[in-house]
Amino acid sequence: MTIEKLPAEQGLLYYFIKQVRPELAEKITETKTIETMIVGLGRQGTRHAQLMMEYGTNVTCGVAKGKGGTLVHERIPVYESAQDAMEKHPNIAVASIWRHYSTAKDATIEVIRAGIPIVVLISEFIPLKDVRDILVEARKHKTILFGGNTPGIIFPPEGIKVGMLPDIFQAELVGDIIGPKGVTILSRSGAILYHLSDALASAGIAQNGVLGVGGDGAIGSRFVDLVSRIMFYENTDLVVIAGEIGGMQEELLAQDMLAHPEKYPKPLVALISGANAPEGKTMGHAGAVISPGQKFGTYESKREVLEQAGVTVVNHQHDLIEAVKTKLDRSYFDVERYYNKMQKKWDEKPPEKIWGTLITNVMPNNLIIRGYPLQDIIANKGLLETSYLLQVGEFPDESTLVELEKIAVDAARQPFVNHNAVPTSLDISKMLGTCLLLDTRLSNYVNLTSDVAEVAAFSLGRMLRYLAILLGNIDMIENAGEEDISFSKMIYFGLVGEEQPDPLKVKLLESMLTACVDHGITPPSAQATLVLASTRASFEVAMSAGLQAITDVHGGAGQRAAGFFLSIAKKAREENIKLDEATFELIRDTIKAGKRVEGLGHRIHTQDPRRDVLWQLAEEAGYAKECVAISKIVSDVFYRIRGMNLPINVDGVIAAIVADMKLDPKLAKAIFVFGRTAGLAAHYYEEISTQPQMRRLAFDKAVYKGSSIREIK
Amino acid sequence: MKLYEYEAKQIFEKFGLAVPKKIGIIESISDLEGLSLNFPIMIKAMVLIGGRGKAGGIKKADNIEEARDICNKMFDLVIHGFVIRRLLLEEAVSVSHEIYLSIITDPATFDLVVVASASGGIDIEEVAKNQPEEIWKRTLSNNPKTLSEEVSQEAADFLVGRNPELASVKESLSTVIISLFSAFQQSEAKICEINPLIVTNDNQLIAADAKFVLDDNSLYRQAPLLKSIGIDPKSKRHDVSEQTKYEAQAYIVGFPFLDLLANPVNFQKEEDKLYVGLVPGGAGYGIFSIDEVVNIGNRYFDGNVVPINFMDSGGGPSLSKVADMFHLLMDHPATDLVITSRFGGISSCDIFIQGLIMALRDRYISKRRMIPVFGRMVGTDLAAARAFLDKAKKESPEPLKDLHIIVGNQKIMADVIKDGIEYGFKIKKQKGIGVIK
Repeated sequence: MTIEKLPAEQGLLYYFIKQVRPELAEKITETKTIETMIVGLGRQGTRHAQLMMEYGTNVTCGVAKGKGGTLVHERIPVYESAQDAMEKHPNIAVASIWRHYSTAKDATIEVIRAGIPIVVLISEFIPLKDVRDILVEARKHKTILFGGNTPGIIFPPEGIKVGMLPDIFQAELVGDIIGPKGVTILSRSGAILYHLSDALASAGIAQNGVLGVGGDGAIGSRFVDLVSRIMFYENTDLVVIAGEIGGMQEELLAQDMLAHPEKYPKPLVALISGANAPEGKTMGHAGAVISPGQKFGTYESKREVLEQAGVTVVNHQHDLIEAVKTKLDRSYFDVERYYNKMQKKWDEKPPEKIWGTLITNVMPNNLIIRGYPLQDIIANKGLLETSYLLQVGEFPDESTLVELEKIAVDAARQPFVNHNAVPTSLDISKMLGTCLLLDTRLSNYVNLTSDVAEVAAFSLGRMLRYLAILLGNIDMIENAGEEDISFSKMIYFGLVGEEQPDPLKVKLLESMLTACVDHGITPPSAQATLVLASTRASFEVAMSAGLQAITDVHGGAGQRAAGFFLSIAKKAREENIKLDEATFELIRDTIKAGKRVEGLGHRIHTQDPRRDVLWQLAEEAGYAKECVAISKIVSDVFYRIRGMNLPINVDGVIAAIVADMKLDPKLAKAIFVFGRTAGLAAHYYEEISTQPQMRRLAFDKAVYKGSSIREIK
Repeated sequence: MKLYEYEAKQIFEKFGLAVPKKIGIIESISDLEGLSLNFPIMIKAMVLIGGRGKAGGIKKADNIEEARDICNKMFDLVIHGFVIRRLLLEEAVSVSHEIYLSIITDPATFDLVVVASASGGIDIEEVAKNQPEEIWKRTLSNNPKTLSEEVSQEAADFLVGRNPELASVKESLSTVIISLFSAFQQSEAKICEINPLIVTNDNQLIAADAKFVLDDNSLYRQAPLLKSIGIDPKSKRHDVSEQTKYEAQAYIVGFPFLDLLANPVNFQKEEDKLYVGLVPGGAGYGIFSIDEVVNIGNRYFDGNVVPINFMDSGGGPSLSKVADMFHLLMDHPATDLVITSRFGGISSCDIFIQGLIMALRDRYISKRRMIPVFGRMVGTDLAAARAFLDKAKKESPEPLKDLHIIVGNQKIMADVIKDGIEYGFKIKKQKGIGVIK
């Protein structure tokens, strides 16, 4: 059975927050969660953000200069500054700082000034002068500051960790319920902290808080600032501190205990390291230097004054266990059960390195874009709305859509001065890819525009212009005089070149484009774009690469399929035979000749989710004629000949409709390439804003992490 | 990083503090010949440790014979284990009064403290103990860039109050305190001390000695200062003791390492003792693991276990660095057994085990000394580390036959250490090298 966590507002972390920011604590009792922020998203910060979330921490957002507006781990928003973050997320109570020592000071002060009460300063090697500046600010704002050079803080009952501590800590268990009680551990060193918790867990002693106060010589909150506070937290039964030679933290605490015994109502055990350290040699931690003749900082000086204050001082793991057991005379959980839980961790398989996309969930016979089944989108939405959905995650509101229409129409109207340099005789993909690379208007627009949905709309407009040039319909675009002409109509002009079109035809054409917008990261075109995006190639270069991967093998079969369907229809007419007979004969001949039957088969789908909706739309528009009829039987006929199930694919369905609309078969491929522009743009921007550059791109390790299935309202 | 006196004085001069006229720095007695000496002169041993005066490292010479004699003796001196390689020669100054001034860090609050005393020239800690009223202290809780006139005046007032004869130099004292403070802050020092600040017969203030400790963490941005006093900004000075061979090796590879044995290269092992090398992970546990080995040795093995080193392998070392850590200990003549612990927080168990196995395989192939390794790993990337270890043991059982790594925390580290030591004694006995009592 699953074990419930301790509610956040009953834990030690909440207790700290309440002491320094009572209003924020009040908020937490409403939201029931403690929000945290991660500052610095380098390799360590990014990785540990993930581990913190896996442990259960609510990582609300990140702060990283130059990465504002991006997402980390696909869903955590990143801001330029702590202030920006706090405006959006005013309830953040804890921040961890993972910046390099050269920039840690500014980042920390920014966080402190933003009013965050608990700051965990992971960075090590921070210059002493900077630490002093940080301390001045922390005192001013009553910040509880852990570190610098802390491994972090962890609260096992609430399941919250902020920092890099390994997951070995155990909370109290009362039956199957997690309890709040236990000992609280504070340590200057990270590794000692782990070994200490480990030793106590082996004796059934739970930890309700494990706090790294920092290994540097100068740190934020010291033992003397924290221990008394913790002793007044009702669920702490005993406090353990792990001190070491160097500095005078332990002496200060002992002196305070002697002067104010009433502040220390609970037992304290101190593990002090360095009994056998040689004098005069520095031991790594800046704090751990003993110079001859000092009256503080040695093992003896610490032990002596702590013992005077009634503290049990130990120097060996078993002695620690004995001391704590004697003082508490109880255990908090079944040790066997703890080891069984840990055993699972030891025996875990190495994790697969998956990565996430929020755009399209590709499952056999289902394509879900941003949570919406593609067939619903095709039936209800236009190309620009779908493009917006791909980029942004939601459909646009009305005014946004009007704006996108203007951008796309305007983009189609702007001249493409280099078009004479692109031979129209080229293959469609190659021609479009070349246009993208030569188009200075597009690259200017991309450079000046930060809104990705606008970039996608502009690109669609430009693609339309290239296609109109290729298909000889550019005059139609130039002469489309209507001021508020719709992009849909513009598309029809550019692709078909027919004046006064049947509105149903316009809509049907657009539906076919919408059907082609995306297929997740599975097709080679998306993968080509991602490879380029990971190198941070420019938008148009990555788009060009993606589009040029659309060939006869991938996405380009429509043109031939349309020709094939037309020849079947012609045969049936000329020989006055039934369509299925004509289909049978031509497929048989094709197979005999060792050729492929185009428009059949899909790597993933056995029933393409785009098929039925397109057939139905064709039907409703009155363009479901012979070729559509053939497209409905071709798969069955193929089975009769070959005994193999090869379903009609989207290329085949579009090819049939194009043929029945009496459009140029070339358009079948043009539709596919044009529509796919929207999806490729989305993948490009997702890659550059959520993934590290030059990452190892394992396409089969991608996992859809976006919105769950929803209905179009 | 501690600075030598002549380096510290160069910094003082940049901040307008007067120092005695430098004659030169000599590295051998013959260097003395080329110098033009204007007697009396001061001869000072350049070592990075206090208590020089008492140990005979500061002398005054009135003529060349005396100077030669003093220099000869001083070059043979060893002060608290430090060999004297250089002597600073400077002109002696007339002394009317001696003052103590320093800027230090309060070990309790980490705030800056300005300290002044009119009783300079002697051991200031003695003064603080016996005549605390002779010491003036001011804690500055706001880490100011410069010292305010108000505070420096107050310090000067105090000094004049203790010794009315200083009244004529009161303003200069105030200026010197401000300059010293600026030198401290701009150089990002940890300690800045003048003892004594000499008031000469003609009322000049001269810093006769200088103690200057820079903050290691800020050296990266103090490159111009370091260069200006002849220090390579990219190499941190090993300033705590004379480096041993192995300490120097570790320093080059880039991890903190200290020999606990006094003379590791020509070390004479005692036959019935087990010498344990430690790769503990983290500086804190580096210190604690020494205690654990000693404690376990005392409790269960008649005190016959000797930890030989401190090491800080924490902070996510690279593969090759991990391998070098094990190589260093296995090349070390004292090592009988290596005990290691990887509690992966920021550092990865996976990188650790790969580095360790790389070292063992390399040693096996190149027929270098193999030492049993006992240890435990828990934490970050454990699953991947375990998979690697299992595979490696199948692929190359020979080089790894004496590698005993416990995966997970079913046994606390103290018990792993105990098991390791027991095993170490067993192996030693089998090989007939040592005998268990």
